[in-house]
Amino acid sequence: MFVGKGKNIMKKLVGFLISCSLLVSCTSSSVEVKSEVENSPISIVTTTGMIGDLLDILLPEEFKVTRLMKAGVDPHYYKATQGDLVLMQKADLIVYNGLHLEGKMTEIFEKLSRRKKVLAVTGALPENRLRKTSEFATGIDPHVWFDVALWSTICEDVAKELVVYYPNWAVKIEENKNRYIDELSALNSEIIVALSSIPQERRVLLTAHDAFAYFGRAYDIDVRGLQGISTSTEYGIKDIEDAVDLIIEKEIKAVFVESSVSPKALQAVVEKCNSKGHDLVIGGELFSDSMGEENTKEGTYIGMLRHNVETIVTALK
Amino acid sequence: MDFLDLNFVWISLSALLIAIPCSLVGVFLVLRKMAMLGDAISHAVLPGIVIAYYFSDSYQSIPMLLGAASVGLLCTYLIETFNKVGRLQEDASIGVTYTWLFALGVVMISFMNDNVDLDQDCVLYGEIAYVPLDTLSIFGALIPRAVVNGSFLTTLIALLLIVGFKGFKLTTFDPVYATAIGISITFWHYLLMGMVSTVTILSFESIGAILVLAFLVIPPAIAYLLTNRLMSMIYLSMVFSLVAVILGYILAYKINSSISGAIASILALEFLVVFIGLQIFKILRRRATKVSYSN
Repeated sequence: MFVGKGKNIMKKLVGFLISCSLLVSCTSSSVEVKSEVENSPISIVTTTGMIGDLLDILLPEEFKVTRLMKAGVDPHYYKATQGDLVLMQKADLIVYNGLHLEGKMTEIFEKLSRRKKVLAVTGALPENRLRKTSEFATGIDPHVWFDVALWSTICEDVAKELVVYYPNWAVKIEENKNRYIDELSALNSEIIVALSSIPQERRVLLTAHDAFAYFGRAYDIDVRGLQGISTSTEYGIKDIEDAVDLIIEKEIKAVFVESSVSPKALQAVVEKCNSKGHDLVIGGELFSDSMGEENTKEGTYIGMLRHNVETIVTALK
Repeated sequence: MDFLDLNFVWISLSALLIAIPCSLVGVFLVLRKMAMLGDAISHAVLPGIVIAYYFSDSYQSIPMLLGAASVGLLCTYLIETFNKVGRLQEDASIGVTYTWLFALGVVMISFMNDNVDLDQDCVLYGEIAYVPLDTLSIFGALIPRAVVNGSFLTTLIALLLIVGFKGFKLTTFDPVYATAIGISITFWHYLLMGMVSTVTILSFESIGAILVLAFLVIPPAIAYLLTNRLMSMIYLSMVFSLVAVILGYILAYKINSSISGAIASILALEFLVVFIGLQIFKILRRRATKVSYSN
């Protein structure tokens, strides 16, 4: 008796599956026609704002660059919407960071690259310029944009690829690249000068998670993250104790919160320091995994770095 | 009807091919008061992922799935053992097991000097929006991997359920009688747990955690409110899933939101509508009987 009813489910299931596959074959032909009609401007999709900004600068106006991750989004926990799927399908080129910054999405990009133009901006970086975080092959710090010289190399790499993809605009892309490389090198010297006004022993940057290691390496700052490289690992009690000891020992005046990470752990550190009689303030908000709102000063790569450096210098000097 | 394209077909099909096996096992979980098992497994797999990462040194799906599946099975085994041998209540043994396993995973990550980027979200949980992007070529046709996996999963679970329907039914409703006529409660219990573990972990990888957990519990719960017959409960549960998949996709399309979020929200809405509707129906019927009494 029971078996008979079971067969019934199976029958309905099979029927349902067949009707679904019929639906597929009916709709699939109409979809392809639709996408061919519109072909200008050429659509480029990027994951983070930093990459979006770079492509906006390099490419002439015949291209439209769309950023999937808006301001304040943690790339790790980015949740795609229905519209994002369509954007990626219609994009002529998809550009992402790589080094597992985009988490599980990375795997999708790698698979897509067999059928579509997909570019990882960190893909061509030589291994010796990347920062290893553990003995694992995959343990590489993805926050490459905080070293302006490294970002400059990325700019060159990306421009090289763009010229291959879009040879018709090669001259324009080269021009834009050269101008931007100059701007970046000016920015680099500006940062070095600004940070040198902080006394050497007070150059300690303590933030919620470990996004600023490249920044520290490039500009000789002792960077400490409470949380480790991923925003998902939890901070331990000992992490907070260690941070408090370090702050008191080095007489640090400020710690910093990040735009895309919860400030809770840092507030704990501040409270603990203040209760031990050491004056510590939250020195301001730094942009780490995402930039400011689009069309504001902090919504560009250069503006974002300037904001970070100003905040750090004002608070630590 | 402008939402009707290939994306709609693939995404709703993959969602449905996961909703069906979820309903099939979810009905029994709800009836056995073990609805939180799926949630427990979603947390408990963490140490499996850490071990898989340690040995494979990559973020690839296959080792992650293997690691997650073995710990998922271990988790269900431990829950059963605590329950049967230790005589701990079912909910308490679920609570003990998964918190402990999750904590173990967190400690293991700390041991790997805090600098690896590892959790379920970034290495295991898929995203339903990417289903049409991740395809396999089968006889020249590009079919999303999630649809292939889902078909396999649906067939497997449906077959197991058809073959073992009597066992599942008897051990769920009348374990005493089942034991009396020589049906092993333990066997059917472990089989069901193994099925839940397989369904949830494979589905997490295809379409993400929240949606799977919603499919596992909400449609069977709605059906439970409406019927007290097992077969109708299974059918109703599938129908509610189907409606939620389609309405959810349209909602996500209209307001450009996360698809899994929209489908899960529609499921919750269905539950609320049924729940409130039933209460209103009860009040009306009570009034009607009062009226007929007074007449």
